[in-house]
Amino acid sequence: MMILRYAISRFATMLLTLCIVSMLVFVIINLPPGDFLSNQIAELRATGQAEGVAKAEFLRTEYALDRPLWEQYMIWAGFMPGPQGFSGMLQGNFGWSFEFDRPVSEIVGDALWLTVLVNLAAVLFVYVVALPLGVIAAAKSETWVDYTAGFVGYLGLATPNFLLALILFYYGHKYFDLPIGGLMSPVYEGEPMSWSKVQSILVHLIVPTFVIGTSGAAAMMQRLRANMLDELSKPYVETAIAKGMKPSKMLRKYPLRMAFNPFVADIGNLLPSMISGSVLVSVVLGLQTIGPSLLTALKSQDQFLAAFVLMFVALLTLLGTMISDVLLMLLDPRIRLGGRKT
Amino acid sequence: MHKIFKATAALVLLAAPAFSQSPPIQESTFWASEVQSGNMPPAIDRVPLDPLIVDLEAKGRTLGIQGGTLRTLVSRSKDIRQMVVYGYARLVGYSPDYSLQPDILRDITIEEEQKFTLHLRRGHRWSDGAPFTSADFAYWWENVANNPEITPSGPPEWMTVDGKLGTVTFPDAQTVVFEWASPNPNFLPLLAQARPPFIYRPAHYLKQFHVEFADSNFLVQEILAARVKSWAALHNKRDNMYKFDNPDQPTLQPWLNASGKPTSRNLFVRNPYFHRIDAAGTQLPYIDVVEMTVVGGGLIAAKANAGEVDLQARGLDFRNVAILKKGETDGGNYRTLLWGNGTASQIAIYPNLNFADPVWRDVMRDVRFRRALSLGIDRRMINRALYFGMANEGGMTALARSPLHNPADLKAWSALDIEQGNRLLDEMGLTQRSPNGLRKLPDGRPMEFVIETAGERQEEENALSIITDTWRELGIRLIMRPLNRDIMRSRVYAGTAMAAVWYGWDNGLPRAETSPQYLAPTQQEFFAWPKWGQYYQTMGNFGEEPTMEAPKRLLQLEWDWSHTNDSSKRAEIWAEMLDIHAQQQFAIGILSGAPQPVVVSKRLKNVPDTGIWAYDPGSHFGIHHIDEFYFEDAFMQVSQ
Repeated sequence: MMILRYAISRFATMLLTLCIVSMLVFVIINLPPGDFLSNQIAELRATGQAEGVAKAEFLRTEYALDRPLWEQYMIWAGFMPGPQGFSGMLQGNFGWSFEFDRPVSEIVGDALWLTVLVNLAAVLFVYVVALPLGVIAAAKSETWVDYTAGFVGYLGLATPNFLLALILFYYGHKYFDLPIGGLMSPVYEGEPMSWSKVQSILVHLIVPTFVIGTSGAAAMMQRLRANMLDELSKPYVETAIAKGMKPSKMLRKYPLRMAFNPFVADIGNLLPSMISGSVLVSVVLGLQTIGPSLLTALKSQDQFLAAFVLMFVALLTLLGTMISDVLLMLLDPRIRLGGRKT
Repeated sequence: MHKIFKATAALVLLAAPAFSQSPPIQESTFWASEVQSGNMPPAIDRVPLDPLIVDLEAKGRTLGIQGGTLRTLVSRSKDIRQMVVYGYARLVGYSPDYSLQPDILRDITIEEEQKFTLHLRRGHRWSDGAPFTSADFAYWWENVANNPEITPSGPPEWMTVDGKLGTVTFPDAQTVVFEWASPNPNFLPLLAQARPPFIYRPAHYLKQFHVEFADSNFLVQEILAARVKSWAALHNKRDNMYKFDNPDQPTLQPWLNASGKPTSRNLFVRNPYFHRIDAAGTQLPYIDVVEMTVVGGGLIAAKANAGEVDLQARGLDFRNVAILKKGETDGGNYRTLLWGNGTASQIAIYPNLNFADPVWRDVMRDVRFRRALSLGIDRRMINRALYFGMANEGGMTALARSPLHNPADLKAWSALDIEQGNRLLDEMGLTQRSPNGLRKLPDGRPMEFVIETAGERQEEENALSIITDTWRELGIRLIMRPLNRDIMRSRVYAGTAMAAVWYGWDNGLPRAETSPQYLAPTQQEFFAWPKWGQYYQTMGNFGEEPTMEAPKRLLQLEWDWSHTNDSSKRAEIWAEMLDIHAQQQFAIGILSGAPQPVVVSKRLKNVPDTGIWAYDPGSHFGIHHIDEFYFEDAFMQVSQ
């Protein structure tokens, strides 16, 4: 019951945050002078293509770009009726991409779940790698195991993602016949899901997961190691060992549990950095996620597309934070929302 | 030039009786099932009655077999238009020696460069099987070019010569006549461009979107579905002869777009009605399917190295040669050819003389400023850092292989000389300095020179960072602003970009017979004078009239060139125009002639070992006719 209440209150905060984020996103996107259509109109005017100008003007009124900014926001979000009545994000209409001349929903389509998939794989990778390495590095601190793990970790942190990607592609293809770029073999694009398509996606996921996850894993590992070391120097550890407890069991039962909190809470930090990092990685690796669309949209001031992608990224981040909060609560009985009142 | 055509005309006439014995046309396996099920007529009925018979042996090529899938990569989904460039089916087209030959046309007769009679092939069909006749030209002329709603600015600017609009008549189904009151030597080169003005449109298809022919209910529905404002906008949206993104629109190119919706894997299949055949009666193109995949620009070299392409040059540049050659020695199934580069400059900086800021504009219009900028570039260093010293340093002018090349133009103002550069800037009165050593503009702002780039080529950005250091010694700060190609262009055209960096002239290999139009302020595409170009292109409706002396002289010379037939006079005009450009430094060229790597699968035959990589004239692979390339083991390849 407690948990449910906790989850609901977190959910409400999340909605509020999302609302504020949407305002910020909208304002920031509109900060640079001009927008896609006015740039286009200026060019078309200059070259005398009156037909194009007429179309651009039409789109301007159609999407209410001639109104004040706050009205544009309300219409876009769906709080206020626009030229077509209520038709905004809330109503499931994500707007029109001027750059691609198609509805935003058509452009992002498949990319959405592929984005989720890539990031999910990367998060899993981070945990699977960081957990054992961090624990071993702490247990065997100041030995070659620790140093090797540390060295590999720093290497992961310090290598620029795009460089790592190109190196992995080259050697991965040469020795393991891994595919270069993309998230599935182009043959399967737009095809219905099938076992061979899943296989193709899995094989294509290897390099991106590694590239996106390495730096996160390295950081996570170091944090876990530091937390573990803190715990290991505490008297209860000594007592346990003095009483003849097996080191591996002791490690699992006490210090690891204590060190686990930040590990879980980190999802909240991990997701945003990973998602924003994966935008650039996707551009370099040619992944069909929303990364490349975000970049082109921002470059060409294609505002509805950019706003939608940013909102989606914000939503993923908030979801991540919420999951981590709920997990923490399950994991650690000391965290209770009601606690503050008593 | 018209002599060539007379000669070919005679040849065609002589050869005409031979058509009855023209080789028996083979059915293609690709369309065999369609033919069997009766959806498509047999091959013999699909090629024109008088097809273009390609004599491959005379070209030093071999006869090929049909089949196979050619894989190539592009970096933007918009780039599917490259299929029109590579396909290069034009009314008249350049052959590899840059002479003009009839292609889609059976023949063309020219009288005094004023009257051009275009003869179509009998029985030539669009890719959907509808006849291709003079009615398609009439539709373009009467219902597109002269329709005030589709083209509000009226017929294209090139239809007007010396202030008089040309006439177009259609004596019969296979004949179209273009006529002007004075000579129009630009007409045929225009038709042979990489992006030609399509003076014919598939009338039977487009009529359904044209208000004069269409069913109004259907039109209203389509307009609403496409979210456009008017029928004209809808018509323009469906009519993309060059963009090539509408699979429903019939084409005359060797391959037609078979991908319905936007995807990263674009398939182009053989045009069943293509007009070229080989001497053995095999209909071209040899290759059944072209697979053009959109990938991240940075991955093209890696994918080529991994053997995932059969023919690739776009997206590869000189710095990729090392990895390509390495892949080749590691047992890659491809060859890396080094083709020449046809652009006049690999990298050129264009100060925008139509920039909206009046203070900067006046500074940039002072020739001393542009010369000083050019003197402040260490071309040797850029060449060594980016091209292993293999490119030619110097300003933008005709390349060494062009008969019009003049070494003095290449060297003009192009040696690094900071001292002289500073002297020129001092002479201009720009002697005030800001605390950090930058020169000040007449109104007191520090000189921060913003150069916008297309953000596609690393070499541009690397070169600019090298230039940053030496310009600093001139007291000018270079600020680089990477955008994307389309935004950069529209900013330059609108006069909101201070300067841009791009390639030099597409055609670095002009001959005296080449129209010097691109040297004069006649095109907004030359980033130094977008508005003067617009003024010319729209016949004074938009843009600005050139006010400086040198551009006016260029316009005059261009006019003179098109009003003489004497080729020595034309060469003189060219020399003077090139001199003006070298002296005025409208575009500051850095270096030229860096080899272009071309990756070719070892299984792909008939690809020339040497060539020039140029967009116009040349259409990249276009003039080498990809439709004549074939896979030696095509039958072993399963085409999907």
